[in-house]
Amino acid sequence: MIIIGEKINGAIPSVAKAIAEKDAGFIRNLAKAQAEAGANFIDVCASVENNLELETMKWLIDLVQEVTDTPIAIDSPHAHICVEAMKFCKKPGIINSVSGEGDKIEVVFPVIADTQWECVALLCDDTGIPKTSEKRMEVFGEIMKKAKAYNIAPSRLHIDPLVEMLCTSEDGINMVVDVIKDIKAQYPAIHVTGGLSNISFNLPARKLVNQAFIVLAMNAGMDSGIIAPTNQDLMGMIYATEALLGKDDYCMEYIGAYRDELFGQKK
Amino acid sequence: MSKMEEVKAMLEAGKAKLVPGLVQEALDEGNDAQSILKAMIESMGVVGDKFSAGEVFIPEMLMAAKGMAKGVVVLKPLLAGGSTAYLGTCIIGTVEGDLHDIGKNLVAMMIESAGFEVVDLGVDVSAAKFIEAIKANNNVTLVALSGLLTTTMPALKTSVEAIKASGLTGFKVIVGGAPITPEFAATTGADGFAPDAGSAAVKAAELVG
Repeated sequence: MIIIGEKINGAIPSVAKAIAEKDAGFIRNLAKAQAEAGANFIDVCASVENNLELETMKWLIDLVQEVTDTPIAIDSPHAHICVEAMKFCKKPGIINSVSGEGDKIEVVFPVIADTQWECVALLCDDTGIPKTSEKRMEVFGEIMKKAKAYNIAPSRLHIDPLVEMLCTSEDGINMVVDVIKDIKAQYPAIHVTGGLSNISFNLPARKLVNQAFIVLAMNAGMDSGIIAPTNQDLMGMIYATEALLGKDDYCMEYIGAYRDELFGQKK
Repeated sequence: MSKMEEVKAMLEAGKAKLVPGLVQEALDEGNDAQSILKAMIESMGVVGDKFSAGEVFIPEMLMAAKGMAKGVVVLKPLLAGGSTAYLGTCIIGTVEGDLHDIGKNLVAMMIESAGFEVVDLGVDVSAAKFIEAIKANNNVTLVALSGLLTTTMPALKTSVEAIKASGLTGFKVIVGGAPITPEFAATTGADGFAPDAGSAAVKAAELVG
């Protein structure tokens, strides 16, 4: 499982406060804690006004890189900001994100074409988030056509099938499961990712829903996730699920992560 | 850290894939095959002890044993007569009427990593088959019998008795299995008993070495 650490995001009130007050220590600590908890990438999202976004991005990325070598996931709804912020990164990371919407792909794909940068692609387009799995697969098809045109290998893409609230869904996560399975069947090397917390919006005891979701989504083929790596219950669940899915010989990864105190230790 | 120490550290950490490369590097550094093997056997002893003490899990012990096996492949051509069986041959099997083999397989791996050549007869092995195998193999120094069911405990006893009564000599007999207590093991006439795979390897070396 590829873990994209989600905690440095200006949409989170404590982070917004740290950004406003230029509290460098707070950001450094978040970066360090996530790296130590096993994050493969550290997501950086400014969530500030447009005219401040790029400089805030730079400030955040610099702070993260002061304390860890873990690559960055540049998280912005603006494709041009993503591309600009690549310059601040010491090593290739992930662009988070493009989609079928507007000219995002045309802005990002040419820039990352001949690099090792990876990219998150959401299955929505100018019409919004498609309601059916067929429609989402159509968006996926378009994205893959462009990826091929720019010579971006499937293994560099993280497809987000867009997980919506469970509480208003008519059929649980069946539709998303179908999409994940279909994507993996077409491109075994591609990554399927997702933000975890959307699933449990407006439900009590959200952690349980999130954990149950990760197990089922991994079973369908999700192998990347934008999550809080410091959440030990969730990380333990991920390691346990990988072992149960036969992706962990002799459970050595599970045991190793336990030994590294990533989960299951008395706090 | 010397290459020899690295071999030991990686073996104990269960990094099976890294062991053969490090063994080769230790040879290139000028260590002889014999002392590398001895070092690996020592490390396996450490792992076995940790397992018995509940400090490591079965897979960690298994990976160490796998690492040992991979390392031995590198050493084999350099060892006298191409044999790594310093402690002779061990005949192992689960006794008649019992089809369990997970624990027995683990013990076989651990005993092999302690320096035995292992001949595994599988499961549901009659006393006659054990005796046949002792006759058919060279330098048998140890016979290991496993029984996992309370209902096959009597078979463990009759098998040990039959092996002892066969007139064949030059080997020790060791027994084990989930329901086996030291007290029961003593009544079978076996020379040794071990409660788990880690200590089985240590016990085997102690009985024969």
